[in-house]
Amino acid sequence: MLGRGLKRKLSDYEENMAGLSSAFDSSRSLPYPLKRQLVLNMCLTKLQTYKMLVEPNLHRSVLIANTVRQIQEEMRQESSQQPVNICPGIAAAAASHSYTGMESPGIPLQLPSGVGQQESHCCDLRSVEDPIENSLLIVSDDDMSSAISSILKDLDFVEDISPPTCMVPTGDDQPKFPENTGLKLEDDRQDLKGAECVFGSFEISNSTSYLKDLAIDDIFEDIDTSMYDSDFCCPPLMPPRSPSLATEEPLKTFPSCNSSSANNIQICRTDLSELDHIMEILVGS
Amino acid sequence: FLGAGGGNDIQWCFSQVKGAVDDDVAEADIISTVEFNHSGELLATGDKGGRVVIFQQEQENKTQSHSRGEYNVYSTFQSHEPEFDYLKSLEIEEKINKIRWLPQKNAAQFLLSTNDKTIKLWKISERDKRPEGYNLKEEDGRYRDPTTVTTLRVSSSQSLKADFSSSSPSPWLWEKLPLHILNFFFDYETYLSADDLRINLWHLEITDRSFNIVDIKPANMEELTEVITAAEFHPHHCNVFVYSSSKGTIRLCDMRASALCDRHSKLFEEPEDPSNRSFFSEIISSISDVKFSHSGRYMMTRDYLSVKIWDLNMENRPVETYQVHEYLRSKLCSLYENDCIFDKFECCWNGSDRQVEFLIVMTGSYNNFFRMFDRNTKRDITLEASRENNKPRTVLKPRKVCASGKRKKDEISVDSLDFNKKILHTAWHPKENIIAVATTNNLYIFQDKMN
Repeated sequence: MLGRGLKRKLSDYEENMAGLSSAFDSSRSLPYPLKRQLVLNMCLTKLQTYKMLVEPNLHRSVLIANTVRQIQEEMRQESSQQPVNICPGIAAAAASHSYTGMESPGIPLQLPSGVGQQESHCCDLRSVEDPIENSLLIVSDDDMSSAISSILKDLDFVEDISPPTCMVPTGDDQPKFPENTGLKLEDDRQDLKGAECVFGSFEISNSTSYLKDLAIDDIFEDIDTSMYDSDFCCPPLMPPRSPSLATEEPLKTFPSCNSSSANNIQICRTDLSELDHIMEILVGS
Repeated sequence: FLGAGGGNDIQWCFSQVKGAVDDDVAEADIISTVEFNHSGELLATGDKGGRVVIFQQEQENKTQSHSRGEYNVYSTFQSHEPEFDYLKSLEIEEKINKIRWLPQKNAAQFLLSTNDKTIKLWKISERDKRPEGYNLKEEDGRYRDPTTVTTLRVSSSQSLKADFSSSSPSPWLWEKLPLHILNFFFDYETYLSADDLRINLWHLEITDRSFNIVDIKPANMEELTEVITAAEFHPHHCNVFVYSSSKGTIRLCDMRASALCDRHSKLFEEPEDPSNRSFFSEIISSISDVKFSHSGRYMMTRDYLSVKIWDLNMENRPVETYQVHEYLRSKLCSLYENDCIFDKFECCWNGSDRQVEFLIVMTGSYNNFFRMFDRNTKRDITLEASRENNKPRTVLKPRKVCASGKRKKDEISVDSLDFNKKILHTAWHPKENIIAVATTNNLYIFQDKMN
């Protein structure tokens, strides 16, 4: 389902993350803001992965979203304090002693939260950060909220509601739902819109989109499509889905995945790279 | 006896193992639930392939008084099939999430089994024990010598008695949340089912609808920060049930207070220990199982790293906390990365007996280890479910994990633990010291060493 290029990239990424997680766990000298950023990136990756799953897991999504909120809240509190430009290494070393130490007003910090600052690390951190650098990507809040909201949106559908019945309760209270059915549907329709920005309170400073970096450019950069014209037929990469889903669920990996025939070429590109490879073998070049 | 007083700790011995020997685990064979029936004579497992396998304990052999009867396959049937929801282009998993037995009323046995979507009531009945057909033939079809037939194998059949469709009409749009909780009311006619956001009440005789008693879906989805993780009825008090959450809280509700129990009567929550705070604090506080003690005075909860015993009269903290695998606390990031941090371990009490309160609790861990905590002596033990220890009546050797520092002989270091070998499901025979422990695709049965 995913293009080979993407799969390779993802598994590299996963290996990287596994290595970084053990670095997180075992290293005491890993600066706190880097640890936090690492966790944040892991959370966002997971949410994005869950979005691509057929059956999203609400329990995990909620737990991860809460973790993200917690981190964001902390970052917000810090950036609202009087900023002092301390070398991140020193600041982080001071902070890494304890989690609660971060909130102490005695340690004002300017933490690297923007992408510009990612490049300018203190030299004493370089050895730690080099492996981490590639994965310290900041995610736009659009990606974030759409990742989470689409999981929850998928769980909502309006089509198969029929009038409810229920057992008559023995207590005096009437059950909540029968008479409110009509209203409830309305409310939930509006909830769908609300669900579009379910965790809309997430605000992360904008910079390069994680997904843009990972998915689109990397899949297509190697492929020279000049040889192929629009007459080339190949099966779509994604399995056929019901039309309503195709419009509801933004497929981030293949943003051009729609019924337009011109765009079928883009969908087929990964298949074409395999063809390319086979051709090379056959031709013997 | 049951480890009660006098420090007679139970010595566990391997008894049997069921399942494929291969290291390659077939996905369908992954065991997803284990449950003894009320007498302990039957032991049911459900798997990811939607099958239910029921084992029956053989009557005790008088000549072999030092061991209890073995469990042998009694019935196997396909409880749930995969379904395809065309509207959402989604497959509904056939994996059995829970099995709950009804008490035996006559010759037949009944159980409820559920997958993500549908709860089914099965009747398992026996044919008469007469020498005929299946008793007279070997497995390859040849006739046996009648003089060698010493025991009669019984064939059992199952019939689907009822299908409780959870897609019964409901105003809630969140129909697709998987059902993962199922528990009986003490009348064994009413039961509850629960998904992440709702708890519904069912009656065995009413198959097309249920009564919603808890709904935590917020009006504004942005506010969703907590889901339901487990729910159970109180064993004795009518109308009382508890449910746990992903934030580590347990709410006790009384259905007499209102039809829709959105207000709890009690809220059990332990304040966080600031010295243990980490990015993963909330995730590891999520409760994966809740079990009342048989007296109903206590309840036990399982979160990622510990088992807690709560006194129903004390809401602000548990009365006891047992660390299952505290050495994992320093590995949380890696466990988060590989999703192990979301593993849902169950826990169970030892079987009820006429004596006082439950004294031993059991839960699973990684590397096919499982742990027991004796509430009386405060001692704990780690055992391993492995085919290497498979000599019957050989006492299992306690295992030990070396958290840091120099590893002693026979200890295993944390980094060597196999996190793919997890014991999520365990069950304790209701009356005897027999336990069933499920590894990924094998079922182990252990018994105490009878003297």
